Amino acid sequence: MVLLAARTLVSAVRPPYPYGEELVSQFLFVLKLSWFPMTISIFALCFGAVGLQASGILELFGALDRLGGIFVVTAIRFIGPIVTAAILAGVAGTAITADLGARKIREELDALQVLGVDPIKNLVVPRFLALMVVTALLNIYAIVFGLTAGIAASILYDEPLGGFFATLFSNVLITDLWGSVLLCTIFGGIIAVVCCYKGMTASGGPAGVGRAVNQAVVIAYMGNFAFLNVFTSLLLAFNPELQTIR
Amino acid sequence: MSVGRSIGWLDAPRVWLDGAGEVARFGSNVASQVFSGRVLRFFGESVRQAGILIFGSALIIWAFVFILGLQCGLIGAYFSRSIGAPGNAGLFSAFCDLREGLPYAFGYIFSAKVGTGIVAELGAMRISDEIDALEVMGIPPLTFLAATRLLGAWIAIPFLYLVGIGIGYLASWFAVVEQVGDVSSGGYLLIFWMYQNPLDVLFSLTKAMVMATIIVSVGCYYGYTASGGPVGVGTATAKSMAVNIILVNIIGMLGTLIFYGANPRAPIGG
Repeated sequence: MVLLAARTLVSAVRPPYPYGEELVSQFLFVLKLSWFPMTISIFALCFGAVGLQASGILELFGALDRLGGIFVVTAIRFIGPIVTAAILAGVAGTAITADLGARKIREELDALQVLGVDPIKNLVVPRFLALMVVTALLNIYAIVFGLTAGIAASILYDEPLGGFFATLFSNVLITDLWGSVLLCTIFGGIIAVVCCYKGMTASGGPAGVGRAVNQAVVIAYMGNFAFLNVFTSLLLAFNPELQTIR
Repeated sequence: MSVGRSIGWLDAPRVWLDGAGEVARFGSNVASQVFSGRVLRFFGESVRQAGILIFGSALIIWAFVFILGLQCGLIGAYFSRSIGAPGNAGLFSAFCDLREGLPYAFGYIFSAKVGTGIVAELGAMRISDEIDALEVMGIPPLTFLAATRLLGAWIAIPFLYLVGIGIGYLASWFAVVEQVGDVSSGGYLLIFWMYQNPLDVLFSLTKAMVMATIIVSVGCYYGYTASGGPVGVGTATAKSMAVNIILVNIIGMLGTLIFYGANPRAPIGG
């Protein structure tokens, strides 16, 4: 898998660049698959897990206007990337593995190689780049809908929205945003490499493709979450300005 | 390249709605097989499925839960430091672990590992006509394949999940006390245990059980109805994951609304 990642990176920057059209079609493919699960999931998670739980506690303190600050910590730093990674791996990653696995089983990949078309350059690289871009973009989308869920929770508790926005904007830093987006870009890379690798090495009859999808999504989840933990540790430890509340 | 083939912007919601409805019908069918006791004819197979679940998936589920516990502890520790009350890290991690994080983490990894695994397995059986063969031999395939898996999951999940809760707690403790280290172990645990009680564990377990039931039903449905050769199995697996992940999130939200919506259940004030 590491080998595939390295070859993908090298192949992405070395000319020629024949993958433009495939890149666009993959980009749209992933976007069309993922926008609906993203909307529902991020709204549900931010509304239930963050909005309701935090509002419950804050209402006891009489400090519901602080909900915005909590959404910075949770929705932007934590839940946005998690949900983006989970959805992209579960929806787009599995679709990619199923697609590549099908081609492997039908021996289309071998046929491509015989024709002198490099499967890494023409199949893996566009998916890799497309997933990195889409994951980063969908993270922004996730943050927007997460904040919408926060607004919904505020309205549910009959709280004027001024306090929400005031604490939100006074607490959010550029570091939060770029951290979140950078994290998601790397998530996209991990998902693409794992899913392409598992798809391209699918074998073993009818159960093969299904099993490849199964393994791909498990490995992508574990890899993403392990990386998430390391990244959050480093981000918070090296950026002490994230640790003050304003 | 054939990938961009005719998938429209509205296909995702349509597939999901379609799948959710079909799964509801199929799942209630399977559940009725379990409740009516017809599955007890294959009780041995159910126990075998529970065993497969434990030996095959427990470690991965627990590892995933461990990572989420670390993450909860980490965010909680830094958040509490930022409000100038590092001793209160237990509040955040108690809420994040037991009430929200662990059910979601469990749902995600269960749908990834077990849900898609069932689709791949049953799909392969369907493609190689083994399910038809079962029918010919006079064994009701729905009972033998789907209902036993559901019963097996119901047997294994409570134990699996309760151990998972312990592992998540251990991870949070590790992140707060050992990694960040703003608060002593005793101070952390005091707040941590104060903000939860056995009823919360029951709520959390309820969420996880509902998620597991739905995930197994989805897996069985997509595996049972797979068609179109080896490629069809892969597509069905991918589709089941897309349906599962939305359902997990929705169940999590509904659970929170029902259990904590009117009463935050925190020992603050009266």
